[in-house]
Amino acid sequence: MIKFMKLAMKNVFRNRRRTIITGLVLVFGATALILAGGFIAFTFRGLSESTIHGRLGHIQIYNKDFFSKDEEKPLELGLENIQELKHNIMTQSNVRFTMARIEFMGLISNGDKSVAFLGRGVEPEKELKLSDFALDVEQGKFLGETPENKLEAEVILAMGLAKSLKAKIGDYLTLMTTTSNGALNAMDIKVAGIYSTGIPEYDERALMIDLSAAQQLLYTSKVTKLVVVLDETDKTEAVAASIEKLFPDVRAKRWFDLATFYNAVVRLYNSIFGFLGFIIFVIVVLSSSNTMMMSIFERTKEIGTQLAVGTSRARLLINFLYEGLIIGVLGALIGLLTAFVLATIINNAGVTMPAPPGSTRGYPLLIDHVFAVYIGVFILITMTTVVSTVIPALKASRLIIVDALGHI
Amino acid sequence: MDLLISADSLVKTYMLGKTEVPALRGLTIGIDYGEFTVISGPSGSGKTTLLNLLGLLDSPTTGSVLLEGSEIKYDGLSNLHNIRLEKLGYIFQTFNLIPVLTAYENIEYPLLLTKKSSSMRKQLVEKMLREVKLWEFRRHKPNELSGGQRQRVAIARALVNSPRIVLADEPTANIDSVTASEVLDLMRSLNEEEKVTFLFSTHDPQVLRYARRIVKIHDGMLVNGQLK
Repeated sequence: MIKFMKLAMKNVFRNRRRTIITGLVLVFGATALILAGGFIAFTFRGLSESTIHGRLGHIQIYNKDFFSKDEEKPLELGLENIQELKHNIMTQSNVRFTMARIEFMGLISNGDKSVAFLGRGVEPEKELKLSDFALDVEQGKFLGETPENKLEAEVILAMGLAKSLKAKIGDYLTLMTTTSNGALNAMDIKVAGIYSTGIPEYDERALMIDLSAAQQLLYTSKVTKLVVVLDETDKTEAVAASIEKLFPDVRAKRWFDLATFYNAVVRLYNSIFGFLGFIIFVIVVLSSSNTMMMSIFERTKEIGTQLAVGTSRARLLINFLYEGLIIGVLGALIGLLTAFVLATIINNAGVTMPAPPGSTRGYPLLIDHVFAVYIGVFILITMTTVVSTVIPALKASRLIIVDALGHI
Repeated sequence: MDLLISADSLVKTYMLGKTEVPALRGLTIGIDYGEFTVISGPSGSGKTTLLNLLGLLDSPTTGSVLLEGSEIKYDGLSNLHNIRLEKLGYIFQTFNLIPVLTAYENIEYPLLLTKKSSSMRKQLVEKMLREVKLWEFRRHKPNELSGGQRQRVAIARALVNSPRIVLADEPTANIDSVTASEVLDLMRSLNEEEKVTFLFSTHDPQVLRYARRIVKIHDGMLVNGQLK
């Protein structure tokens, strides 16, 4: 086998220029796939972490009927006995902390103008722990950051909503909503800060107030959900399953079940990556097949000689597959190395990508070094090259000896 | 005792477009062990076709070939490549060496197809290199060798597996007369000393002088096949 491998190696480098051109196609293909795969992995990682730490947490605990029934009144299907539930969930391994949220809606008024809002009652200190990098307070401060602010109800407004109400830090606004028993209630509230969600449509309507203020406004002790934050994203499924097993009256929603934008991006990027992979597969197949066809054409007489001296057709086929394997392995290895170097250069270059559709913020261009992508691309490029050699190799192995010997 | 190789009523017809071109028209021939025989005839008489059929490189349209008394089957099930490997050796007009391999490796190539150990292969190749007087050139590639040296490598490659018969198609056609004499002397000595059977196709008078038996064919038929 080693001798035939050596022969294949010599044949591969018989026409160096052609082999180098084919090799460059493989290197280009491997590099493109690894960079694209690394970029997509970075995007998925960044997007999943910003989704988790910006909004969702790892797991959200709801009343078990929350998704199957409609609420007739606010928080009718909310969670009760929050402190006990929090305490029990904190006993689970990998749980960093839990926090309650109330989702509600209503009207916010500056006296002259009323605007519909989507409100969230939060535990400020824990929200800051969750979204230490994702929450972008543009003006003022976040909720409860100064002790005196705790004496009066505060609100932070998303940028678009603040602009719509011409609200400034320190202004007083009025929140109006329906309480949990169906009555109307209102609350005067001070603007503590203005923030950006990064999503223009959401910036037009969003606001946050303290959880206790929201409970007071809605006249309830319930919350909409409990957000569970873990120390490792990979543990999400295990912890969620454990919570559902221990607490049959709740539903534990995993972050990826709730992250519609993230899932849409994953589907889109996977499609793009698949399409890119297909294009590169076709290029590699055409390039390698063409090289092998040319090689076989040039070596027809030699193939006839090899058959004449007793080489079996199977042996000849295997010899050609060795040649494909050698080109594939060399091309893939050089491609891996090239991709690694390029990814390192790009990661250190500090390039910023423009803001994606639906967002107001750009993000750094980074390429993750994903071992599985490197291995996958190596296998794909090598196997594709071998597969593209099969038809020319079969053709060679089926040559009629006297015709091959007579080939000029 | 069976002949080494024999052919009975061989017919070979080629298609040239839609036209049938007969190359052999019912030719019968027998070659015995130890012969040094030349198939002679003008161009287009069917020499190479006969050699190809006797060397199992091609199949007849009708008729049969027997090797050591066994009829050759062309049904795709028979391991003809094994017969070619173990019992037949070939020398070609244009040497047909593998250009990326050295003289040593070219001679070794048929042995790689067998189950011989590397030490056995080494021993056999070195013996052949010495016999064909190419020991000093063992690391040279074909393009670094003269025509005569290349043909001697081809002879060594044909003989390294100790075949029953060596078939040589116009072996002196691409070498000068002095080199041709050297090559023919070598083959003749191998025939006399090692009892290797040789079957040539040629119309080179120089080769004919070396032959012990000349088989003349014309238009695909045997004219005569007498001993000299």
